[in-house]
Amino acid sequence: MDKFASLLHLTPAILWMVIKVVIVFAGVMSLAAIFTWVERRGSAMIQDRIGPNRAALFGKIRIIGLAQILADGIKMFFKEDLIPTDANRKLFWLAPFLAFVPALMGFAIIPFGKSFVSGGVSYHLSVLDPGNGMGMLYPLAIGGMAVYGVLVAAWSSNNKWSILGGMRASAAMVSYEIGMSLAVVSIFMTTGGYDPSEIIGTQGHLPWNWNIVHQPLGFIVFFTCLFAETNRLPFDFAEGESEIVAGFNTEFGSMKYSLMALAEYSHMMTASALIATLYFGGWQVPFVKDPTVMLSVACFLVKLVFFAWVFVWIRWTVPRFRYDQLMHLGWKVMLPMSMGNLVFHAWRMSQGH
Amino acid sequence: MGVIVKKVELSWLDRTYVWPVMKGMAITFEHFIKQLFTATSKRYTIQYPEMKKEMPEGYRGLHELKRFEDGAIKCVACFMCQEACPARCISIEAEEFSDLNITQGFEEKRPAIFKIDMLRCIYCGMCEEACPKDAIWLRKDYEVAAYDRLSMQFGKWDLMNTYAKADGKDRISQDPTPTVPRRTIVM
Repeated sequence: MDKFASLLHLTPAILWMVIKVVIVFAGVMSLAAIFTWVERRGSAMIQDRIGPNRAALFGKIRIIGLAQILADGIKMFFKEDLIPTDANRKLFWLAPFLAFVPALMGFAIIPFGKSFVSGGVSYHLSVLDPGNGMGMLYPLAIGGMAVYGVLVAAWSSNNKWSILGGMRASAAMVSYEIGMSLAVVSIFMTTGGYDPSEIIGTQGHLPWNWNIVHQPLGFIVFFTCLFAETNRLPFDFAEGESEIVAGFNTEFGSMKYSLMALAEYSHMMTASALIATLYFGGWQVPFVKDPTVMLSVACFLVKLVFFAWVFVWIRWTVPRFRYDQLMHLGWKVMLPMSMGNLVFHAWRMSQGH
Repeated sequence: MGVIVKKVELSWLDRTYVWPVMKGMAITFEHFIKQLFTATSKRYTIQYPEMKKEMPEGYRGLHELKRFEDGAIKCVACFMCQEACPARCISIEAEEFSDLNITQGFEEKRPAIFKIDMLRCIYCGMCEEACPKDAIWLRKDYEVAAYDRLSMQFGKWDLMNTYAKADGKDRISQDPTPTVPRRTIVM
């Protein structure tokens, strides 16, 4: 451990930053890749099927089908990269990146472990250190960027199904963002700040002090809106296989499609990290007042994986909404609910709670 | 004719939507856990190359030409199956043989060539029904596939050995009694 500490002190700040970036993004991306498998296997189990269990390393080592990820990747990589004739080539190339990058960027702000002091210098386990002035506003703003990915992909591919999917998905995303933001605002209010480490700090290590207990209504709104935001079932309007072929990524193939799919799962990871941070105490370990750094990271990971699993779980439980139902829910239920939540907490704070 | 649609009155708990979703999640999770802890052999899915489906009684699969205990073919080359076959996939050529014995029921005719074109066969079981000697059976093997057309032409010895392995019998490739040249009757 001393050796590790001395190594840490010798590491220049920029290298430490690079390490963090690699850990966070490689971690999120590999988790997202694993969740493509979890999704398929989990959905199979939920529906009394078995799911992909055949893919094997060297045709022999069948690690419960985990090699499927690798096989999918290789397959996608070797597919022909087609661009439709009338597509807008530049935007068509750009769209997967526009979908993928914001999905990962949102994660930068989230502290995935306890900050620690070593050799008089404090190290923070998040890509953006606390006190950067952006705080939780940053992932919300980046989340807004995600609309671009869907819309640009839809528009550039010059396909009517794509544009239908893209337009309605972007409309849904924009309208759900309001309810989501209001739910987050009430957390900012009760915390007295919008820095994620501050939010985690005020929640403490006792589960009944977490925001989920104080603001269950806000949690429901936020959670529901995240489904619309990440474009997953029950609000799967960008794709909608049963209605509009494959929605915004109908025309995308090979690695472009792969990137799109990975973007969806990265979104899911970022979303579950947000839920864990805002409502479930982030890296706080329940009933452990002063956890070690590793323990806090592990606890955060457990929370992250659990919520990502809930995303999968809900996807295979709830059928898809109709578009008017979605809009009804977004504007007439979610928005008033989060507004009411905000007003209620404002009132409570004015009463001195 | 009018149909009265009965509207389901939802309770306030159901109208919150959150509670029914949680109930649904409980159901799916129950399925998930149940399936996760079910042994592979007890799951609904039959993992084909390793596990095979046990076909029901009366299933009409790959044919077998039945044989007597000494290995003689039961078929007497009466051409009934060839006539009955709606797909015209059976072709038989008969021959005579000597050395009559009791197991063969004192027949003196048997197929020299008994060919079924498995590409044409529709597995209707007419040949089985037409056979007066119970010599052709359609049994439970359903894995009839080959890499080329020629190997789908099943000859007499192929058909006699189709179930040899499954029944634990020896593979045979020769009739126990020799054939005799065709007798010509001088009128």
